[in-house]
Amino acid sequence: MSLKNILENWSQYRRGHEQGGHHEYEHMWGMAIDLNKCIGCNACSVACYAENNLAIVGKHRYSKSQAMHWMRIERYWDEPELEKAGLVTKGKTIETGASFLPMLCQQCNAATCEPVCPVAATYHTPDGLNAQVYNRCIGSRYCSNNCPYRLRYFNFWSYYEDSWPEPLHMQLNPDLSVRDKGVMEKCTFCVQRIRVAKDEAKMADRKVIDGEFQTSCQQSCPTDAIVFGDMLDPQSRVTKLWKTHQVELGKSKQSKQNPDKRGYRVLEGLNTDPCIMYLERVREV
Amino acid sequence: MSKFRVMGLFRDFEEAFDAIADIRQYKVPGVSVDNVTLLSPIEHPEIEEVLGERPAHVPKFTLAGALFGITFGFLFLASAQATFLVQPQGGKPVVPLPTNIVLTYEMLILFGVLFTVISFLIGARLLRKRDGMYSEMVSLDQVGVIVEVEEKSVQPLKDLFEKHKAVEVREEVSR
Amino acid sequence: MQTKDINEEIKWAQINKDVLRSMENPRKAYWVAVGMCLAMLACAVVAEIYQYRTGMGVADLNWPNMWGLYIATFIFWIGMSHSGTLLSAILHIIHADWRKPIYRFAEAMTTFSLMTAGLFPVIHLGRMWNMYWVLPYVSDRGIWPNFRSPLVWDAFAIFTYLTSSALFLFIGMIPDLAICRDNARGWRKKLYTVLSLGWAGTDRQWRHFRKTYLLMACFLIPLAVSVHSIVSSDFAMSIMPGWHVTTFPPYFVAGALYSGCAAIITLFIILRYFFRFEEYMTIPIMEKTCKLTFAIAMVWTYLNLIEFASTWYGHDLVAKEVLVDKFVGHWAPYFWAMLFFGSVLPFTLAFEKLRRHLPTMFVVSLFLNVGMWLERWMIVGPTLSMAYQPFAWNFEYPSMVQWAIVFGSFGWFGLLFLVFVKIFPSVSMYEVKEMVYHRRRAHVEDQAVAFHRRAGDGQPVTDTP
Repeated sequence: MSLKNILENWSQYRRGHEQGGHHEYEHMWGMAIDLNKCIGCNACSVACYAENNLAIVGKHRYSKSQAMHWMRIERYWDEPELEKAGLVTKGKTIETGASFLPMLCQQCNAATCEPVCPVAATYHTPDGLNAQVYNRCIGSRYCSNNCPYRLRYFNFWSYYEDSWPEPLHMQLNPDLSVRDKGVMEKCTFCVQRIRVAKDEAKMADRKVIDGEFQTSCQQSCPTDAIVFGDMLDPQSRVTKLWKTHQVELGKSKQSKQNPDKRGYRVLEGLNTDPCIMYLERVREV
Repeated sequence: MSKFRVMGLFRDFEEAFDAIADIRQYKVPGVSVDNVTLLSPIEHPEIEEVLGERPAHVPKFTLAGALFGITFGFLFLASAQATFLVQPQGGKPVVPLPTNIVLTYEMLILFGVLFTVISFLIGARLLRKRDGMYSEMVSLDQVGVIVEVEEKSVQPLKDLFEKHKAVEVREEVSR
Repeated sequence: MQTKDINEEIKWAQINKDVLRSMENPRKAYWVAVGMCLAMLACAVVAEIYQYRTGMGVADLNWPNMWGLYIATFIFWIGMSHSGTLLSAILHIIHADWRKPIYRFAEAMTTFSLMTAGLFPVIHLGRMWNMYWVLPYVSDRGIWPNFRSPLVWDAFAIFTYLTSSALFLFIGMIPDLAICRDNARGWRKKLYTVLSLGWAGTDRQWRHFRKTYLLMACFLIPLAVSVHSIVSSDFAMSIMPGWHVTTFPPYFVAGALYSGCAAIITLFIILRYFFRFEEYMTIPIMEKTCKLTFAIAMVWTYLNLIEFASTWYGHDLVAKEVLVDKFVGHWAPYFWAMLFFGSVLPFTLAFEKLRRHLPTMFVVSLFLNVGMWLERWMIVGPTLSMAYQPFAWNFEYPSMVQWAIVFGSFGWFGLLFLVFVKIFPSVSMYEVKEMVYHRRRAHVEDQAVAFHRRAGDGQPVTDTP
């Protein structure tokens, strides 16, 4: 009886994110992206299209801003801080090149997109992922509106009808579905690869080894700017990087001993607790 | 022993009330004000003065409905949430109080209203066949007084109604 | 100049006759209006079928402007539904009897605008055929809706409000349905016989009726307030700049009452003309409604200013940027139009000459509602187009499909409303009788004294003065 369930587990059900949540995590997949290394080549974005069956929407729909790039490279030409210091003049930054920011779903541990979904189509997995259940989604699009990073993309059309004209449909990845109109989608940290790795590890009766698999963006990055791994594994590369740069999960303001460390999380102050750490770019002037 | 019902139709409240006042003072033997039913196009604001206090139990049902709404609402939500652990948490507890308060509040009002309406339908004896004693003039502008009496009181009552200028007087055997 | 709310010498029988007549022979304009509403509705149906089959892309919604006119219009209709309750329930509780000739259609407006509003969340869904997933039904997979989501609160609130306001409308109409039953013939007789539930007007029925009606009025007032604050939580509960605003709940409620009152003025004038209700929907009642609208307009203006001031004074730079963009950026024309229609135009209501001039008030009330519709769009639009991530700044230009559905919703509302006023009495007969009766009594001094004493002590007065 569920009434009994409430009474017995009340204290557990009243534990929020700050108290550690109501369950233990099996993994906590995280990422570190070094903006010093990013050259803005968009290979990650292309790889993501190939891996995740992202619809190619065509010029017209792209210009209407109905594209589906889960992984996008944001370009910023202005450098307000350098301008303030008098190191560059406004409008001249074109010569120094743009700043790049690869943006993919931040897999927040206190995700703002989750609680607003009316039908529980997006939820937090015990892997620390922010999962999107396409079959459950009814397309209210509230999650996108409440994502401060704007990292959710909506199937405005039945893109599959013309995205992969024959024989291109042969290139679709069979490990995951092709989405129809009316559902929301976003980066999954290549959950199909995580699945395979976990299954193999289970079969061999061992833990998932760090570096055993890569996300497709990480795999295709020519400068190795993206590091992905399990943050619950103290030996993983990503954990070590976070530690080196003195960035911790579960904080809305980092307490750094060494302010020269470049690590930061995007819009951390909103208390979304994202799982992706960026390493600030150091610019020559 | 069969009972009779006598109805007098009056042009306005004052005439009808004069007739009832006479009944109150037992001018017709064996007929008390408790046997009187008043039919009117509107409710007279001082009806209690004429007919005496008569009960209406609607507020008790309303209270019961509101309390049921609160209890049922919260337990329903909390037990649904407690069995549905994959629900999106957004960093919040499984059973979040602020959001449940909002929905419990809505349930309070919903059940309060539903219980009120149901008790109204029962209490006002609606949703059943109307008995024969009714005149369409009541929904227009006349006031009717129906009294349930023994056979011997029928004629004195009719005379009383006539005395108070009743427009029409009817009688029938009550079932 | 007419100063009395209603002709106090009017006979009860005359009231029945006038109102019942309205249900049979309206002016020709009524049928023209029905035709127009049907045509408008047809536009929306065609657009909706096209959108249903093709996908939300035809609405020209885009990333990140995921909500557009649909949600703005949803709030608009929900807002419009609030004044029926205000006028009816609040004025009933404070014994303002001038509500009596006009509350019936105001309540009908509440119910029908809710029925219109309820369509929009469905229309805007990407997969509307799965709409029922939002309802808390027991499924064998143990899946529930997410009770944290303000959209689910909306579903609960709208369901509760629609149920309660429809019941309130219906219960308040039972004595009138009995009148109709006694006078109608043919199919109408059958309909009214069923709907009047066997009302005979006995003292027992009236006694229960009075208590029930009062209790429901008491429930409806907090309910109406909660419904629009819940709608405001769609925005206020989010994290986005320009939405995450503490003053949103009262701001939404004030806006709701405002647009509802303006709509009452519009419909007042329309009904008065269609059904020749000059005797009942009188100029003094109109004036009182206008004054009420003016007061609410000023409350709305104040809450607007407070919102600007607190955003401006606060240190949330992103919210500030959105605000500045409303004032001088892409949204400026609509924003200033909203401020003009919402805060400047209502000053026409402050002048007695204009207030008593029906054509002026008709036009003004329409524009007040244009302003209120713009307000809702100014809530939804700017925050979506400009939020935290500068890379995602983008505008949306709604397509004809969106406009057609928004336009057609007015046809749907109008159609429901026009059918209602033709089948059911749009002026409450029994309450106008009460109003006339009470006002006439108030002139007889000793009766008035007794009446006032009773209103104070609640116990029956045994001695007659």
